Amino acid sequence: MTHKELHNRLREERARRNLTQADLATMVGVSRKTINTVENGVFIPSTVLALRLARALGTSVEEIFQLPGKVP
Amino acid sequence: MQSRNVVEIADRNSRVRAYVMAAAGLAFLLIHVVFRSYVGMGPETADVLTRRVMWVVNVVVLLLGLSTGGGLLNNREIRALVNDEVSQGNYRTSVILGFWVAMGTALLLYAFPNVLAYIGGDAIYNTVTFSVAAAVLKFAYLELRAHRDA
Repeated sequence: MTHKELHNRLREERARRNLTQADLATMVGVSRKTINTVENGVFIPSTVLALRLARALGTSVEEIFQLPGKVP
Repeated sequence: MQSRNVVEIADRNSRVRAYVMAAAGLAFLLIHVVFRSYVGMGPETADVLTRRVMWVVNVVVLLLGLSTGGGLLNNREIRALVNDEVSQGNYRTSVILGFWVAMGTALLLYAFPNVLAYIGGDAIYNTVTFSVAAAVLKFAYLELRAHRDA
């Protein structure tokens, strides 16, 4: 499932903490493929995974995933 | 938290699976297109019977690979990583495509029975062959795309 109107800052947040995709995958307990597809906007993570990503990065889900202003 | 080693093993296994699925799907389709099986047509000779059995084995193996993620040989931890959310989504997408290919092929063969004389085999054989190949190839494509740039 993809959503072109969902912006995500996962790559930036991960890079800001000097983590590789493999590091973050290890912390969250998913495969590197999952981190890669989320970063590339190919895959929309489940709510649980989004929360786990946010927790692992010490931030909120809203900091990582945003809808653009015009979308209700 | 997973061990870094487990994540790397899962990553490698997932890539290998994608390549194996792509090769298996292509081989399955090419064998059908190039060699044209005549299962269901003419007398049941030993040659036709062998082809029929081999085709059934191929289909079962491909469907098992698709439905289990081909991870039966991995331990539970690695299997869970290889078949995580992304792969489960890819599996669903592939199965949906396979379903529509099956419907399209079946309708085509029903509406234009003369097509069978050109492509060989019977209607069930062709419907299953094309739908399974489509699902397996779609899954392989989606998995390879997921690994791209990783």
